[in-house]
Amino acid sequence: MSVLSAKLGLRRRGWFALWAAPLPVWFALFFLGPMLLLIAMSFWSVQNYRLTPDFSLSAWTYVLSLDFLWSTFWRSYGLSLLSAVLVSLLAFPASYAMAFLISPARRLTFLGLALAPFFTSYLVRIYSLQVFLGEGGVLPQLFHSVGLSGASLLNSYTALFLGHATLTLPVVLVLQTLALGNVDRTEMSAAVNLGARPLQVLRHIILPAARPGLTLGVLFAFLLSYAEFVSATYLGGGVFQTLPILLTDLIRGGQQWPRAAVVSLLMMAVLLLTSLVTVAWAYRQKGN
Amino acid sequence: MTQPLLELHNLNKSYGTFAAVKDIDLSVDAGEFLAIMGPSGCGKTTTLRMMAGLEEPTRGDIRLEGQQINDLPVWQRETPLVWQNLALFPYMTVRENVEFGLRMKKVPAPERQRRCAEWLDRLGIAGFADRNVAKLSGGQRQRVALARSLVLQPKVLLLDEPLSALDAHMSIRMQGELKRLQRELGITFVYVTHSHSEAFSLADRVVIMNAGRIEQLGTPQDIFLRPRSRFVAQFVGGISLFSGMLKTTKEGKIGIDSADGLLQIADPASAQSGTRCDLAVRADRINVTTQPGWGTNEVPCTLMSEEFAGAVVNLHLETAAGTGIVAQLQQRDLERLSARAGQQVYASWHPEDGVLLGAPALKAVA
Repeated sequence: MSVLSAKLGLRRRGWFALWAAPLPVWFALFFLGPMLLLIAMSFWSVQNYRLTPDFSLSAWTYVLSLDFLWSTFWRSYGLSLLSAVLVSLLAFPASYAMAFLISPARRLTFLGLALAPFFTSYLVRIYSLQVFLGEGGVLPQLFHSVGLSGASLLNSYTALFLGHATLTLPVVLVLQTLALGNVDRTEMSAAVNLGARPLQVLRHIILPAARPGLTLGVLFAFLLSYAEFVSATYLGGGVFQTLPILLTDLIRGGQQWPRAAVVSLLMMAVLLLTSLVTVAWAYRQKGN
Repeated sequence: MTQPLLELHNLNKSYGTFAAVKDIDLSVDAGEFLAIMGPSGCGKTTTLRMMAGLEEPTRGDIRLEGQQINDLPVWQRETPLVWQNLALFPYMTVRENVEFGLRMKKVPAPERQRRCAEWLDRLGIAGFADRNVAKLSGGQRQRVALARSLVLQPKVLLLDEPLSALDAHMSIRMQGELKRLQRELGITFVYVTHSHSEAFSLADRVVIMNAGRIEQLGTPQDIFLRPRSRFVAQFVGGISLFSGMLKTTKEGKIGIDSADGLLQIADPASAQSGTRCDLAVRADRINVTTQPGWGTNEVPCTLMSEEFAGAVVNLHLETAAGTGIVAQLQQRDLERLSARAGQQVYASWHPEDGVLLGAPALKAVA
């Protein structure tokens, strides 16, 4: 009896394992493999422009001693954090309206519209922004016509932020709307019944209840902006050297794969740490 | 005549074409325990939510101490509600939940802490003050919900089926505590429930609602002894109903001429001969025998089934005309009767135990 059920259990587990297999295989092949290669490569050396397997700390010591690496690193971090916070603040009133003020049917329509930009290539959107903001572009001309400076808006933080927002706004909007949509309406009514005004309900009930989702919105916007290369190059120009730009420069400038690997690993470590701290904060609980 | 604490005048609530609450007139006195009872969808919760300001009346007035409060924003009203699912704030501790209302109303910290501590203590939850509310038991959560509302020192506390989430044992314990609390505080409780036992054992007066209207308003005894309509009689349960024309015989006997024969009543009060009437007889007033010749109103019937309810047994009978009769017997009376399902028996009762529905209270039944 027990042998039979054990056999059945084994067969059933085998069946599930079969269906669950593709993801771990994919993960091992395209994430874990390259990751291990990246770690190994950071200890390789470059001799006569040729990558040579080795165990050398030269890439690490070189990269860690670069002053501009650290300034670039912190600039990148600060700018993407600023973008993430600004995008989240910008999205919040719209998410609030979608979650609380309009009917569920309309909500779907608006969410669909918000996601529509994803149907075009990100590169195309950034190029069109470049045309829109550049010398003689629509926006500078508009400014000129009302008596302001008609100079190009490119190579500024504003342009870089617009690029970041193009990438992250729809994601943040969806995350925030879902988070706010899950806030218990009875708890909101209970708060009002106990004397809370609308703004107090927002502060004491809605924000704490939606905190995980809202925080994840900021985190995703940060992660996407941090690793962003296209708008950093085409909209921020050389003025805002960010980590991804530094990375490509390292690779272009003479096959410096080990140095690029070190920068990548540092980036990943920082992102991982930031994510862990953020998620822990988002899901912390009060009381014992 | 003192002024009622809470008054509803001609209160109506419609959702589109559906009228959830129709022409409710009700006044609740200070210190009264009022229960609103009815089947689901009868409008009892909507009425309560209108009192709290969570629903806007389509028409009509709500007054608290004589002042109209319809248009007062919810957060300025002092009508806290204990929710059916309690609606505690899960990301706050017990203390923060209880302090919430005082904090929102900007009560200074020393007073806030003093009042909060007092209520935590009073409801026996001071030991859990710094726990997360998600980690409490059902009874403890119930107390937090009560403390959270009562700390505001309201004149009236609204309760929406507050005990429905508890198990039977805990529910009975909390009923006792609620009643004691209400007496001690002397504040008005308006208590919505679908449970007869809760309404009848707790309330000073009970409102029975059906399809958005008040069917009957009275003390628990009133409603139990003198149901005013078929609906109330059926809702309260344990009552047999007969219908027929009111009639006075040549011998001067008064009764209703039903499918089960002439059923005599003691005093028809204002009801007139020839009108169609419903007669209600309570289960504990019906006598069951295996031989005829015991009472004035005697109807032969078939014993359909027995239903044990502790010390008493409910017998379900059916007359030849198909009328259902419920009779309540003591366990030992049933043993003496020794009847089996399917057997012919006789149900009988005294004329004064028959109550005409819709008629004003009978003088004979005091």
